[in-house]
Parts: sequence; structure tokens; C-alpha cells
Amino acid sequence: MDPRLSEEQEILRKSARDFLTDKCPKTLVREMEKDEKGYSPELWKEIADLGWMGLAFPEEYGGGGMSSLDLAILLEEMGRVCFPGPFFSTVICGGLPILDAGSDAQKRKYLPDIISGKTIFTLALTEASGKYDAASVKVKATAENGNYIINGTKLFIPDANVADYILCVARTDDKAKKPEDGITVFIVDAKSQGISTTVLKTIARDKQCEVVFNGVKVPKENILGELNQGWGDVQKIIERAAIAKSCEMLGGMEMVLDMTVAYVKERVQFDVPVGVFQAVQHHCVYMLVEVEGSRATAYEAAWRLSTGRPYSSEAAITKAWVSDAYQRVVALGTQSHGGVSIMEDHDLPLYFRRAKAAELAFGDARFHRKTVARNLGFKV
Amino acid sequence: MDFELSPEEKAFQKEIREFLDKECNENVVAETLSLQGAGPYSKELLRKMGANRLLAPRWPEEYDGRGMGAMAEAIKVDEINSHHAPFPLDGVEIGNALLISGNEEQKKRFLPGIASGEIDIALGYTEPNAGSDIASIQLRAVEDGDHFVLNGQKIYNSEAHVCEYHWLLTRTDPTAEKKHRGLSMFIVDLKSPGITIRPLITSGGLRTNEVFYEDVHVPRENLVGEKNGGWAVIMSALYGGGGGGGLATGTKNVINTLVKYVLEEKQDADENKWIPEAMADLYVKTHVGELMGVQATAFADLKVTPPYGGGGAVSRLLSGDTRRLLYNTAMQILGPYGQLAKDSKWAPLKGEILREFMDAPRWTIVHGSQEIQKLLIATRGLGLPRK
Ligand SMILES: Cc1cc2nc3c(=O)[nH]c(=O)nc-3n(C[C@H](O)[C@H](O)[C@H](O)COP(=O)(O)OP(=O)(O)OC[C@H]3O[C@@H](n4cnc5c(N)ncnc54)[C@H](O)[C@@H]3O)c2cc1C
Repeated sequence: MDPRLSEEQEILRKSARDFLTDKCPKTLVREMEKDEKGYSPELWKEIADLGWMGLAFPEEYGGGGMSSLDLAILLEEMGRVCFPGPFFSTVICGGLPILDAGSDAQKRKYLPDIISGKTIFTLALTEASGKYDAASVKVKATAENGNYIINGTKLFIPDANVADYILCVARTDDKAKKPEDGITVFIVDAKSQGISTTVLKTIARDKQCEVVFNGVKVPKENILGELNQGWGDVQKIIERAAIAKSCEMLGGMEMVLDMTVAYVKERVQFDVPVGVFQAVQHHCVYMLVEVEGSRATAYEAAWRLSTGRPYSSEAAITKAWVSDAYQRVVALGTQSHGGVSIMEDHDLPLYFRRAKAAELAFGDARFHRKTVARNLGFKV
Repeated sequence: MDFELSPEEKAFQKEIREFLDKECNENVVAETLSLQGAGPYSKELLRKMGANRLLAPRWPEEYDGRGMGAMAEAIKVDEINSHHAPFPLDGVEIGNALLISGNEEQKKRFLPGIASGEIDIALGYTEPNAGSDIASIQLRAVEDGDHFVLNGQKIYNSEAHVCEYHWLLTRTDPTAEKKHRGLSMFIVDLKSPGITIRPLITSGGLRTNEVFYEDVHVPRENLVGEKNGGWAVIMSALYGGGGGGGLATGTKNVINTLVKYVLEEKQDADENKWIPEAMADLYVKTHVGELMGVQATAFADLKVTPPYGGGGAVSRLLSGDTRRLLYNTAMQILGPYGQLAKDSKWAPLKGEILREFMDAPRWTIVHGSQEIQKLLIATRGLGLPRK
């Protein structure tokens, strides 16, 4: 048992933190909230050159050959600064699924461009129900002359407005007995005819989109994994994304805790720093419990993932805990700050808004507690 | 980063688990669950554990330990709890303090006895007017030649009625400017003339004690550390432990038992639909508390201050809250049956849930209340100002 990061990992953390402190100030974050694309192509290129996109990919595709645990550190640091842009969509929801389920040809075709920062990916999974279960996948793909024709609407698709490719989860056999059967994942060129994308106005002002597929033609070589057997891969994507999102959220809550502790040491009322009051101290202590709990569980899950151990159960535990934890941390952080922190130009609302968006992404606490309940033996 | 026990720790876990599977029989369990303190069967088991060097894995081999770390101690505590074995609660912890603050003669005199399960030592800090504020205790010790004369009263000193010795905090200098400067620590033979032990019973049925000292003579060689240096000794007892907590096998067993009960007894009913999620929530909290505790213990073994300095206290806070939530939820699941005591007709799960529910409040008070933990985390961990 060793809860420490390795020396190389500490170096990775420090260099990521230094870089992001310098290159990703809150002014940029706010600018990107208003920006049409939602990310800075210059910063995107810089992080590609630093090897961030490729960090966890094998060297043969141009990657850094590092582990999911190393990636977890990077995500944590990105969460700390509310990093804007399609990193998560591209790497976690595009590249890694291709590495996992793709054919050799697909890996050679797509991974080098992801790693070099040339292409942006996203995952089109959720639909009108907003849920992450198989039954909610209704978008249809029908075979036609060696191609598939996709029809239907995907909702809450991050970064689809700038994506070059979309991993689209579609129903290819609607007569299958179980909702999990008959689902296929397609790698879709986002510039294909029949795709229209509308950016939604969201709480985090991230770029979640409605993506309408209207007779979109996809060659059958673009099937990722097996025809009709895609749900297993999708589940893996959800679990991995739940862990990765938790790491990002951990970084965000650490920052809120740091900001809060610093503020209550400085803010004077009744002639003393407000951090002297036990009520305020207890707020901070409970924030610490949430943060430390999140760190322990997110890193346990990431460690299991990166060492090849089973991780489904830990992914659910982590996202269940972290989703609630981030909410409690922003609530207590805001309460400890008082009025200043609910002003629009304060940094805390940036985290407040992102905590809610992240809670909803890849299953909220309730969704994951259901999985934990199933693992305990309940039939839910 | 690594979340697994080392091979040596796993082997120790297997050894003590298999030992207790075999040796912790129903007589012992009945004594433990009676909450009356270690009885004859428990004492016999403790001696057997001692003979197998299972009681003080953290001590050096010369004192019948195994020279292992705080993690081995955590494993021991976990296995004892999950088997309902007797808990040599304070003897080993006090031994840890003796290793730091005791002299050679005291170590030789007491440590082998503790490690072999022959003697146990009760913790004697709290007094009627000194709970969280330990430094304001009043039990007076007056030096008189080669011994000290003790007068005063302790309260809530658990296991004092079944222990051989008392780890006793006394006041030797009532005039000291700062009250924690005038304290001294003794190990007192509980058979000494002038000591009276009276039972106090919690609403959960746990036996603890009041202990009265009336002109009790204690030889000078039983003074631990310096005269008026008791505060340093108490700190070595409170922090010398360094973790020792974390693993939650017992709590996870309780959750699994409840799940089984629900699946067998409460199928399909619409009004029970809330249960799976509530149980999942408890499992998540238990697991996270366990992880934090285990990591704090690992940090202690590595002699590294954890990030944010939170350490084991952070895990204790969560686990204490979770324990209350667990048994309250369990009582809600059992509904009217939850009220039934173990010897009542119709009592579910042998009345164990009710017993634990009644006993749960203690865990957020003893060994430093939740509020004191928060105070320490806030000021030491987060560096918040005191004034
Ligand atoms: C079942 C049981 C077994 C015990 N066994 C032992 C034993 O073996 N040996 C022994 O020496 N003692 C033992 N104790 C005593 C135990 O350590 C004390 O009960 C505990 O330290 C709290 O002290 P108190 O009960 O006097 O509460 P108080 O100190 O009077 O506290 C009352 C309330 O005020 C809060 N409070 C106090 N100070 C502060 C502060 N500075 N900031 C914020 N809040 C504060 C407390 O958290 C609590 O909520 C035992 C107690 C129980 C209940």
C-alpha cells in the first residue's frame, strides 16, 4: 500500500500545474465560455506539442506510452483550472475507445492525428431521455448497399460543434430481445452530409450540442468493434469516462477548498479572520472530507484501470461519491465565502456551474448507486 | 501508487483471520457482544493470540511483536472487529506510548505481558470535570519519598474492572501556570488498596466505570516520563498510534447481511424500493472511509504527512457519521421488528442491529469527539487560525 505518486508523476503534476496556471487563467476560461468554438486552437496545439493528447497511447501511434494513472493526474490538473476545450471528448471518448475496440487499420488511421492534435473527436451516445442506458439508444442505422444510413437525434453531445469525427452509438437491430443487443458504434465523419449541429445553452457554458443525423451515410468499414455487439464497448467507455470525469472533478473541488481556506484566513469580521469561527472551520473540514474521499476513490479506480485489474465496481463507487462530493464542496465553499462568491465575476460560480455539469455527465450519483446496489445483489 | 496490502501484510491477515475463524468461538463472541468487558473465555483467547504473537504485530520482536507497521495493527483491529473477538483496546496502544516514553525497566516489565495477553491496561484520562479538555484533570498525586499518594476520581474508564493496570493521568503541580504543565502519568496496579471501581452502564448496555482513588500509594518506578511531563506522554499515546484504523471488513459484512435479509424477507414490496439505493449509499461511504483510513495508515508507516495533513482524523469523521447512518437505516429497514431485543420472540438478525444501533452514538464521542477531531483538522491540517 503506497498512496504516493511516483517521482515522475509528481513532476508531471508540477509541470502541468505550472503550464496551466500560466496558459489557462480564468480570463481565458470566461472568454471560451462566450467563444463560438469554445476552445483556443493555440492552446490546443501547445498541449498537443507537450504530448498531452498522446500521453496514454502506445508509442507506436506517436503516444507517450504512459498509464491511465498518469492521465488521471493531468485530468485532475485540468479540472483545477476549468480547462476549456475538447480534450476529454477527444481523448477519453474518442481515442481511447478506438485504441480499445478499433481494428489495426482504424488505429493507424485515427490515433496519430488525435495524438498530434490534428483531429477532434466526440461521442454521440445520449438522446432525448438523457440517460446512459441501452434502452435509450433509439437513433437507427440501417444497412444499405455496403453502407449504413443513420437517422435520429443525439442530445447533450459535447464539442460536436468542433468535432472532426463522431463516435455515434446507434441501433442496428431493433428486433433484438434485450435492449443491450443490436447496438453498434460507428466512426462518423462529422462533415458528412445530413449532419446538423446546434450548440445548446448550458449551465457550464460548455459546448454540448444537439446533433441531428438525417440520412447520414457511413461505410461499413467505419464500424467500431462488432456489429450489433457495441453495448459492451459503450459500457466500458462510460465506466472509463466516469473515472476520468471524477479525476477532473477532484481537481475542481481541490481548488474550491484551497480558495476557501485562503479566503477565511484573510476575511476579517468582528475583528478576527472568519476562519476562527468553528462553524466556518467545520465547513472547511467537511470540504476536506469530501476532497480527500474523492482523491482516495478516484485514484483507486484509476490505479485499478491502469494496472489491468477489474474496475467496474470502483468506477461506480467513485462517480457516486464524487458527484455528490463536488456539490457539497461548492455549497460549503460558497457559504464560507459569503456574498462575494455568488457574484458572477467571482471564480466560485465557475466551479459551481461545472460541478453540476460534471455531476450529470456519464451518470449522476443515483445512476451509479444503482450499479453499486446491483453489485450488492439487488435486482434494480 | 499502490492500493494492495504487501505480501507480508496479506500473509499476516490470512494468519490472524484463519486463527480467529477457528479460535473465536461462540462463548467468546457472546462475551464480546454482552459489552461487559473481557470475560474468562475472552482472556483465554487473548492469551492464545499472544502465544501466536498476534496481539502486538507492530512492536519489535524483542517485546514479542513482529516488527511490522501500523498497517498490521489495522489488520489486527479489523479482524478482531469482524470476528467479534475481544478487543485488547488500550493495552497495546498504551504499549505504543511506553515504547516512546517509558524507560527500559518499564518496557521490560509491561510489554511482554501485554503482548502475551496476560495483562491489559485501562485508559484513565477522563474525569467528571475534564472530558475533551483533558489538561484540566484534577486527580492529585503528591510525592512522598519513594512513592506518590493519589486522591481523586476518574469516570468512563472502560475495562478498568477487568484490567490489571491503569494508565493514569494525574496532577502533580496544581500551581503550574499552564494547566497542561502540571501533569504526570502513572501505571497503577488496579489491585492497590484505596481503589474503588463502580460500574456505569450506557443506554446501549456497555459497561464502563467510575474509579475512585483514596490515598493510593504508587511507587516512583511507576511514573512514566518526567514528573510534570505527563502532557508529552499523553501526546505520544494519542499520536504514537499513527493510524491503526481504516479497514472496514466488519461494516461491509453487516451491509451484506442486511442485503441478504432484504432479499429474503422484503421482496417486491413497493414500499421497500428505497432500500437498494440507501444500502448502496452506505456501501459507498463505508468504502471511501475505509480507503481514506487505510491510506492514512500507509502514510503513517511511510512517515509522510498526507496531503492537506488530514490523515486518519478525516477518515474517522466520515466513518463515525456513516456508522450512525448505517444502523439508523438498518432499523428503518427492519421496521417494527427492529425494536425487538435479542432474547425476544420474533427478533430479526439475532437482535444485533438493535444492539449496534443503541451502541452507535459512542463512536462519535470516545477517543476525541467528532468536534475535537474537526478542531484538530481545521487548525493543524488546514492551518486555520485559533484566535
Ligand atoms: C462509552 C465510553 C467509553 C469511554 N472510555 C474511556 C476510557 O476508557 N478512558 C477515558 O479516559 N475516557 C473514556 N471515555 C471518555 C471520552 O473520552 C469522553 O467522553 C470524551 O473525550 C468527551 O468528553 P465528555 O464526554 O466529557 O464531553 P465534553 O468534553 O463535555 O463535550 C461536550 C460537547 O462539547 C463539545 N466540545 C468540547 N470541547 C469542544 C471544543 N473545544 N470545540 C468544540 N466542541 C467542543 C464536544 O465535542 C461535545 O459535543 C469514554 C466515554 C464513553 C462515552
